Amino acid sequence: MTGKDKAAALAAIRDQLGGRIRSGSDLLRVQETQQFQAATGLDGLNQHLGGGLPKGQLTEIISEAGSCGGGGLVMAAMLSRARREQQYVMLFDVGGSFTVESFPPVDLEALLWVGCSSPRESLEALDVASRDENFGLFLLDWRNCTASDWRGLRSSLWYRILGQLRERGTPAVLFAPESVTSVAKRKLEVSIPVTCRGLDEERELLWKKMAFETFRPAVKQGQRVPGISGMGAA
Amino acid sequence: MGFTCQTHSSGYAVVWCVDFKLQAVVRRVHTAAEPVALVDDTQRQSVVLSCNEVAGRLGVERGMKTVQALARCPGLQIERPSLSAEIAASRLLLETALTWVPGIEETEDGMLTLDLSSQREEERSDGARFVRGRLYDAGLEVVTGLGETPSLARVAAFAAREKGESFCHLVPERRLEMLDRLPLAVAGTSAELKERLSLWGVSTLGAFARFSREAVAARLGDEGVELWLRLTGRIQRPLRFAKLEELFELHEDFDDELCEREPLLFVVNRFLDQLIVRVARTGRAAIAVHVLLRFTNGSCEARRLALPEPLLDHEILFHLVSGYLDSLEWKAPVESLRLRFEPSDPVASQRLLFGVGLRNRFQFEDTMKRLRALVGSERVGSPRGLNTHRPGAFELLPLPSEIETVPESAGPPLMGFTLCRLQGHVRTSVRWRSGRPERIESRLVSGVVTQVAGPWHGGGDWWHQGKQWQRREWDIELPGKGVFRLVESEGECFLEGRYD
Repeated sequence: MTGKDKAAALAAIRDQLGGRIRSGSDLLRVQETQQFQAATGLDGLNQHLGGGLPKGQLTEIISEAGSCGGGGLVMAAMLSRARREQQYVMLFDVGGSFTVESFPPVDLEALLWVGCSSPRESLEALDVASRDENFGLFLLDWRNCTASDWRGLRSSLWYRILGQLRERGTPAVLFAPESVTSVAKRKLEVSIPVTCRGLDEERELLWKKMAFETFRPAVKQGQRVPGISGMGAA
Repeated sequence: MGFTCQTHSSGYAVVWCVDFKLQAVVRRVHTAAEPVALVDDTQRQSVVLSCNEVAGRLGVERGMKTVQALARCPGLQIERPSLSAEIAASRLLLETALTWVPGIEETEDGMLTLDLSSQREEERSDGARFVRGRLYDAGLEVVTGLGETPSLARVAAFAAREKGESFCHLVPERRLEMLDRLPLAVAGTSAELKERLSLWGVSTLGAFARFSREAVAARLGDEGVELWLRLTGRIQRPLRFAKLEELFELHEDFDDELCEREPLLFVVNRFLDQLIVRVARTGRAAIAVHVLLRFTNGSCEARRLALPEPLLDHEILFHLVSGYLDSLEWKAPVESLRLRFEPSDPVASQRLLFGVGLRNRFQFEDTMKRLRALVGSERVGSPRGLNTHRPGAFELLPLPSEIETVPESAGPPLMGFTLCRLQGHVRTSVRWRSGRPERIESRLVSGVVTQVAGPWHGGGDWWHQGKQWQRREWDIELPGKGVFRLVESEGECFLEGRYD
């Protein structure tokens, strides 16, 4: 059978089966869409994530320490949402950035706080916790850390945690001032002008003002970006 | 409108395993068709201690010489008393009786007295029937007597045996009437008293109980009064409840010292199997496991391993004990192992109607244990704000096992950004202008302050010596750098956090 015949036969089969044949990328897209189920409580963020946090995956929320922040607001929204859905949340707080007065008491009822001294310790704690099916969301707060703090973390640890998250379908969110790992399925930059005036505004309004953007690493001319294809939003 | 009146009055039961030593050795129900006798070989001449009904019908009697018994009944099976069999049978009796009520006295070998005050009167007969049935299935035949006092319950049990029945209830309203039908022998009277009473024409317990106390005291002395008090229900004694700890405990001294974990875990597995069956028979569950290991160098390790809720799951219990044994450092071989279950009633609390709870409490406890070991127990918990004005003060509580639905009115709307506390106090030098910060300099951030909110004064704990605190706070905005909380306390300024 020549190449033309093969193509004709394939086309005939396609016509016969209609829409029942789907390409691999179609199937992958469907699978990914089904995984997006854990809503974040922020419409803008949900839209960027294609519906919500990918279950069983790690998502990075990047907010630079400066005049445009917002990581804490996203965390507050996620806590609030999880509480309304009656899910237990575990927060790994590196460097003691957690302040109890920043969150409504009712949102803290289902929160388990784990104080960690370093990113490495928080990852080891997540490695333990991600085997537990009781929690609906894991939050890693690395906002007080810098790249030198997480440099040298073994990628095998990240992948092991990812495997455990996948097994139980639990989403994890990493809050950091810059991109941390290529293991993250989604990386989003969040920004909102932080001003003194904003301190007197209702949080609901602030949530609506937040802007989200898919993270794109700065590429120097002629430099190859390793692992860029692994970033889901690229 | 109606309601049910539940009657919980005092009452006792005696569960009596007749011919206990024989039944312990040969479970009667399995050898009902064969003649069996229990003999005492410790004397110079072997004699029959007891025999079953079949042997009795064939002419075997108690106290008879064994040789004579064998002559009368050639097919007679001869058995010897066994202490281990009696212990096992006693344990079985106790375990089964625990499914009825918790308060049990081991009155004598093969006889239990149960306090039925915790059970409704209407259910007592059913309870007796249930226990009798379970013991019968296990190979023990018992008679049960119910009465107002322990003594009357005992009389009832003896009466049941006398009449060839398995159950007798001395109903308070008809007690004298029922005692009228029972011979004096049922109460275990001495031969002398029995003879004197028969000379007077008194042949039943009912007739004796109808005498006046003074008349009995004047003619029959202490023994007569004691019997009269027993039959009229005027002797009420407290029960000496059996110790359940011994019931749910297993112990083994190893002939060969154990140097490896594997054989020890094998023994643990076997112990757990047995203890689970024992506890399950009582309708209870284990709330903790006590482990005691003794080493050849004289040291020992003991630990109470608590469970989050009562259970009898072999896998979880084995995981719990093996996890503890794995964490131990053996400095010498193991000499003996003791394992004990702490029994508890199964969970009776009702779950929240609309609430959601932990899916797997045991996994959760395991996670908590590991996290505490990793980061420290003081750094894991559910945070709750303290009742103080001191900023950032919170305590850590255990995570609730149930999450209630969010209330409709969850308080006023929350305002502003969240505060991200900075690591340590970032000391700051401040240039002031008219009492307001104009410029700050610190290792983290420096610059001109364009917007200021504050100051807010705070203070407290002045009533605790040495713990008094006072502070002033400002929210300061630095262009291009964000909004920070500046704090002045004890003459020092520092940045406490960054709004995010």
